[in-house]
Amino acid sequence: MQGFFLGLSNGLVCLAYCAPVFVPYMLGEGNGIVRNISLIARFLAGRLFGYLIFGIIAWGINKAVLETLGYRELIIGNAYIVLSISLIFYSFLNVKTFCAAEYVDGYFYKIKSSWPALFPVVIGLATGLNFCPPFLLAITNAVAVGSLLQSLFFFFMFFLGTSLFFIPAPLISMLRGFAALSIIGKMATGLIGLYYFYVGIIFLINGIKNI
Amino acid sequence: MTNKANNVESSEHISITKTLLLTLPMMFFTFMMLSAGKIPAEPNKIIALTITFIFANTIFFLMLYKEKTDKYRAILFITYAICFVISFISNLMEIRGSMAISQENLLLCKTPFCHIVIPMTIIPLALSKTIIFPGTMVGAFASIASMLVLWIGASLALGRGFCGWGCFFGGLDDGFSRIFKRPIIKHINPKWHYLPFAVLLATALTSAMLLNPTYCEWLCPYKTVTEYVEVTTTKIFIQTIIFVSLFLALVVILPILTKKRTQCGLFCPFGAFQSFTNKINPFEIRINQEACIKCKRCIQICPAFSMTEETLKDGKARFTCIKCGKCVDNCPKGALLFHVKGTSLTGSAATFRLLFLYPAFLFLVTMAGSNIQDTILRIMRLITTGSMILR
Repeated sequence: MQGFFLGLSNGLVCLAYCAPVFVPYMLGEGNGIVRNISLIARFLAGRLFGYLIFGIIAWGINKAVLETLGYRELIIGNAYIVLSISLIFYSFLNVKTFCAAEYVDGYFYKIKSSWPALFPVVIGLATGLNFCPPFLLAITNAVAVGSLLQSLFFFFMFFLGTSLFFIPAPLISMLRGFAALSIIGKMATGLIGLYYFYVGIIFLINGIKNI
Repeated sequence: MTNKANNVESSEHISITKTLLLTLPMMFFTFMMLSAGKIPAEPNKIIALTITFIFANTIFFLMLYKEKTDKYRAILFITYAICFVISFISNLMEIRGSMAISQENLLLCKTPFCHIVIPMTIIPLALSKTIIFPGTMVGAFASIASMLVLWIGASLALGRGFCGWGCFFGGLDDGFSRIFKRPIIKHINPKWHYLPFAVLLATALTSAMLLNPTYCEWLCPYKTVTEYVEVTTTKIFIQTIIFVSLFLALVVILPILTKKRTQCGLFCPFGAFQSFTNKINPFEIRINQEACIKCKRCIQICPAFSMTEETLKDGKARFTCIKCGKCVDNCPKGALLFHVKGTSLTGSAATFRLLFLYPAFLFLVTMAGSNIQDTILRIMRLITTGSMILR
């Protein structure tokens, strides 16, 4: 369930920053609730696809790097500590959060005109591949779990957690509260970062003991 | 017309006889709640009951006669918090000889349930059918069922007024916030007003993830003056440093410096959760925009950060309002008023206030009564035997 709850804590920030990018596209395309549901389904499918790719990459990192190098707990512990500190920094200081979709704006237009049916999937994929600290922390977490199936499951749960916030967004008018949601979401992820900082310290202590 | 002028005019209207008549129902209600339906046999208990009864009803009488809500609420509310701490710690010393709870007692679920843990229990309860708190369901002191029933009733009647009238911890930072006449720190970035919601989100999620009430375990500052887990490991030692530091910062130092209830307004996850109950509660604080001169006095003095520039435009307090009545008492133009949702603003403000005061004050006396009586008994014991604790 850790992936799900990490996704839930991160989802509000994803929604706050990515929804202003994708909602205008969705609403521009959408024509009634049934059409919107189909768009959201494709959007979420793109997001899931992106996360599963990262599940495989996380497993690959574990196999290729950690199992070869050894010092698994030390490396994971350090990664947790660095990422949780960056998460706390990103949460409580005025650091601009980005949505990957913003940076591929020009390509969106081409896809929209060439493959309109694929368009929501691409937006979903772009908003899923967001290299913000919570997402990187999710990768570290997935690396720590070991097997390919566990890594995929972790990212699947992370997807479910973040997606809960996206489901109603295009259906109801939530745009007004985005500023407040982003502040709350960022602060909450910062507090979760404190928890992961503690987890990192524990990993590190165990790693040192095992040397 | 100024508030002073309003008060002068209304004090001409509200006579002592009328105030006494309005206090009579409260005297009956408070007597029933304080005595629990029976007159105690021991003389010292009769004395404690009488003092508490007179004290509470004098406060209520003055609240009505002087037409000031917060000024008199604060006296009882702060007394309640101090008496709660004295009574709770003394009880712990009698039962287990220490404020620290042992691992054995934790495993035996002998921890009194506290309302702050409620928002953290909901997700795990839904997911695993488990209440993640080492308390007793029924039949013990502060059992889970009794606290839940109390909370549901208070939420329906008062909404977040629970924090202004019933929380046994709120009086501590309320008390410290009244020490200085003027605040030393005058501006707090409005961004921090969202922190309680972030603490709520983070602690609810981590509690569900770890099946542990993480706020209680790591952050709750009030453990400093109630009970805490016996320090047996490095982890518990770190937790102790964290919650004692938070107590000093949020309950003592910042309230003194800002004249605000910083723990309640900037950190407490229960307060954030309770704010949502304001949506279903009939009472609210409204601003008569015709009378308001935008002097921003209400923004300066609101202890819960519930009055902002936006609220002045909206004509009502933020949904985080604790309904303490401080802004109503201090508005120079009498533009703020207790109001019942769905009724006209031009209705009688005095009637709306009275409708709110009866349930709010009765709830306060119900919560405070036993603690004040117990503290009086302990003070009498201290005078006669030299110790507050029964050994």
